[in-house]
Amino acid sequence: MKKIFALLIVCLVSTSITAQIDRSQMPKPGPAPTVNIGEPETFSLSNGLKVLVVENDKLPRVSASLIIDNKPFTEKKPGTQAMVASLLGTGTEKTGKDEFNEEIDFLGANISFGSESASASSLSKFFPRVMELMAEGALMPKFTEEEFESEKNKLMEGLKSSQKDVGTIANRLSSTLSYGSNHPYGQYVSVESVEGIVLEDVKNVYKNYFVPENAYLVIVGDITKKEAKKIVKKTFGDWKKATPPSTSIPAVKPAQYTQIDFVDMPNAVQSEIIVQNTVDLKTADPDYFPVLVMNQILGGSFGSYLNMNLREDKGYTYGARSNVGASRYASRFVASVGVRNAVTDSAVVEIFKEVDRIRNEEVDAGKLEDTKKKFAGSFVMRLEQPSTVASYALNIEIENLSKDFYETYLEKINAVTQEDIKRVANKYLKTDQMQVVIAGKGSEVVENLEKIEYKGKTIPVLYFNKETKKVEKPEFKKELPEGVTVTSVYDSYIKAIGGNDVVSKVDNMMMKGNASVQGMSLSFTRKLTKDGKMLELVQMNGNTLSKQVFDGEKGFTAAQGQKMDYTEQQVKDAKIMSGLFTEQKVSDSAELTGIESINGEDAYVIKLTDNVREFYSVDTGLKLATETTAEQMGQKMTSKLMYGDYTDKNGVMVPMMLSQDLGPQTIDIKIEEVKFNDGVTASDFE
Amino acid sequence: MTKTIMLSFFVFFITLAHAQKVEFTEYDLDNGLNVILHQDNTAPVVTVGVMYHVGAKDEQPGRTGFAHFFEHLLFEGTENIERGEWFNVVAANGGSNNANTTQDRTYYYETFPSNALELGLWMESERMLHPVINKIGVDTQNEVVKEEKRSRIDNAPYGRVAYSTGINPYMFDKHPYKNSVIGTMEDLDAAELDEFKAFFDKYYNPNNATLVVAGDIDVPKTKKMIADYFQSIPSGDEVERVNITEDPIKDKIIATEYDSNIQIPLTALVYRTPSMKDREAYVLNMISSVLTDGKSSRMYKRMVDEDKIALQVLAFARSQEDYGTYLIGALPLGDVELSKLRDVMDEEIEKLQTELITEREYQKLQNKFENQFVNSNSSIQGIASSLATYQMLYGNTNLINEEIEIYRSITREEIKEVANKYLQENQRLELDYLPEPTE
Repeated sequence: MKKIFALLIVCLVSTSITAQIDRSQMPKPGPAPTVNIGEPETFSLSNGLKVLVVENDKLPRVSASLIIDNKPFTEKKPGTQAMVASLLGTGTEKTGKDEFNEEIDFLGANISFGSESASASSLSKFFPRVMELMAEGALMPKFTEEEFESEKNKLMEGLKSSQKDVGTIANRLSSTLSYGSNHPYGQYVSVESVEGIVLEDVKNVYKNYFVPENAYLVIVGDITKKEAKKIVKKTFGDWKKATPPSTSIPAVKPAQYTQIDFVDMPNAVQSEIIVQNTVDLKTADPDYFPVLVMNQILGGSFGSYLNMNLREDKGYTYGARSNVGASRYASRFVASVGVRNAVTDSAVVEIFKEVDRIRNEEVDAGKLEDTKKKFAGSFVMRLEQPSTVASYALNIEIENLSKDFYETYLEKINAVTQEDIKRVANKYLKTDQMQVVIAGKGSEVVENLEKIEYKGKTIPVLYFNKETKKVEKPEFKKELPEGVTVTSVYDSYIKAIGGNDVVSKVDNMMMKGNASVQGMSLSFTRKLTKDGKMLELVQMNGNTLSKQVFDGEKGFTAAQGQKMDYTEQQVKDAKIMSGLFTEQKVSDSAELTGIESINGEDAYVIKLTDNVREFYSVDTGLKLATETTAEQMGQKMTSKLMYGDYTDKNGVMVPMMLSQDLGPQTIDIKIEEVKFNDGVTASDFE
Repeated sequence: MTKTIMLSFFVFFITLAHAQKVEFTEYDLDNGLNVILHQDNTAPVVTVGVMYHVGAKDEQPGRTGFAHFFEHLLFEGTENIERGEWFNVVAANGGSNNANTTQDRTYYYETFPSNALELGLWMESERMLHPVINKIGVDTQNEVVKEEKRSRIDNAPYGRVAYSTGINPYMFDKHPYKNSVIGTMEDLDAAELDEFKAFFDKYYNPNNATLVVAGDIDVPKTKKMIADYFQSIPSGDEVERVNITEDPIKDKIIATEYDSNIQIPLTALVYRTPSMKDREAYVLNMISSVLTDGKSSRMYKRMVDEDKIALQVLAFARSQEDYGTYLIGALPLGDVELSKLRDVMDEEIEKLQTELITEREYQKLQNKFENQFVNSNSSIQGIASSLATYQMLYGNTNLINEEIEIYRSITREEIKEVANKYLQENQRLELDYLPEPTE
């Protein structure tokens, strides 16, 4: 039985063709072409295999695909299905592997196998034999220990090889975070899980799931139904009737709150960003068509909101796209983009902006009309491939669609309204439960990612390793350029503050400044000498609040009437730290550890002792901060003294703003007075 | 602005119906535009494509990446198509479009439901006649191209092998094939707006282009529309083709490249091969098939299957107008030394040089190439691009039908001869492509 549906795409006025053209006017399309959706011939075998045949003799070739539509299941050992796929075709009960492969190649044919599928294509003259080979490979596999070991080895090597591929790692993390690590779509195949697989596992999965109950065979090309029936009976007639085990799929849990999920890829020059949330949407749902159109506008095409913003307007990326999946089991909304490191945070902000735009703003009526026309065109163009007819018929069957699903496809697209778009955008783009999965170079992108605000709140950043496990925030170190050493960092610092000659003439120095803390005005005095003596005084209204003194050998802290001598460790640290322009010589313990960021400025980090690190600007050479770690009541407290507002004082650049962070507070000390070789006496350090 | 146009057709070539043959009509407009029409009314789809005979090899030294940059720039808009509207116009008419650039040519195309044929012709004529080339377009696309380079090459495993940027600098000394198609960012950053305009004026003329229209068309009506939209576009000066002869490679080149995106190294042997028009280039395609095409191919069977020393073997012939490159390579399995892989590849090459391939292998090649031939003509979009390529780069449009005859006529003896002529150890690059070391 063959039925033909005539279908008119979009009725538009035709223009008469004249010799005169006005190229300032865009030509209008002619009358819409008439499209026929044919229906495949179908028949079934007694073992349950359903066969669809589409005859098309335009080219002398035929293709066949076997699809076993089993429910997805959680693998006990992820990778077992992949092993089934790679072992199918490595020899059969009748034919050795080499002979089998050689014959396929000899016929110029392609045959491939999946864990629940197989496909073949060839010139029509060889097709009967090619089908025999495909059936033999699929139904009579010989799983040998030797091939098993060899394929397992290759699979593990392949997994290792993708460990530095930013895209692979981003996709892996995004699937696991969407669906959960025990969901068939969220599981990932790791070297460890493959290692545990034995041949018996592979045989069991094959035996249980490679069965005809849910199987479809689709044959397309230069072949009649009669010929096809004869070949299929001969090749798949003996496939034993069986049903796959019934399994249950774990429920998918949405994210609790909108978050950034970051995995560090130190080799990345681009960040892969995947913004996602799971959705409950099936092809048969009434929302399917509005969602299709909504996504097309948001990120389904070149002219979409996302691409026009991130690529054409900002030039952040080669392309930004989105997709909303529809599935009987589980699916998700995904917007993805690869952007250069420096704009990673901006790209996230822009993606949210566009998602909000389609949720909150009515889509332009003209844009909606144009989008619908795009669907009409794509629909026509897909029909160029004869396999489309077969896949439509198959979808109707397996997705439980109405018989006229594709005949009325464009009607349903055309019925989508502006309100529909907004409604489904709000329903399916869950901006309060979104995961922003990013694989990128932490040392260059994380600092700004942690500052992103959305709906008035900072988006929390969670950290993961490449194996999708949650981890503490890693320390992101930037690579040091070649040739940089403690000496070179110190040299450029001395040069930046005035040069060795000028600096050497300073024997001692006094700085006075003020700060306001909780409404009180405090004054600070700091005195330093070349031979390593130090005084720090904090006063209020002339009364001393605290005093620290180090005379080169010993020191003390005095506050609120109590005086405490320096501990051994403090003396050790003070000996290295105290003094003027200590960078003129390199202490033995000084070590260049990397580059870190101080208020957005890259700085070389020099570790002086276990408790003290100093930061020197990569750009200017100036010292930006001193970080000290002190242990108080068993807890480590880290505080930073930041140096800013460097100003020329008698040829020496001096920081006129000192900022001390103390927990959540920062005290800014504005320096009022600086004196060299004046105002410092030996008694200051008693 | 309206114009009445008179035109004359030169009908060069009309092939007649024959089973499986791609029929086409070919002629030139007065302004030098070469036109190829292919009618196939089985599905209501039409492709309009324009191929310009300009590629990366035509770039000035210090201005690499220009040809590819144009592939981006010429979507920015024209005098009658506003900036940013190109893609919307295509989409709103149900079409799809794209473009690509090689060392030799740049190709733009749209595929539409056949009722939008005139629109497609209008758009391509707009692009040829008066695209808008301005600062904002250049600046935006400059950023996009940088991202394209990052995603395709810098962030992609084996990116510099796939795109030859880690290979061609060794294979070519004088010829511009030594540069990459995507070019360097420094060159693009340094280019002035006027240089882009000059590049357009020099290469984007009808006399340096081929227009192809394929699919559900009516030939007389289509010819009329083509005349309406393209005849008035003025022709430019004749383009001087690159004519640089490379000295043969006489001493083996040994090189190492590093890629931070990989963990498994790759070793490759790369040979310089003749122009793709040359019969010997076809023979090399067959050699490539013997070595690595399919699981029964010689290298796959031996290295992956039997000896288990390789995770994967690969071979590809990069066919180009002046010279090509032919690469064979392998990824080691486990701790196998790269030198071991090279030794085995050498043994397989030597076999080709000393023994004829078997009769059965020969028949296998014939079946494979016939299969390829049938499949290569399976979509309207594919046929359009092939027609333009055969016309522009091979100088014989009918190769779309005849190329299979070339393969059929190649003998086993020729395969041996060509293996001896081109696959000599002293004429090649031995490249070790290694993971970037980390501290």
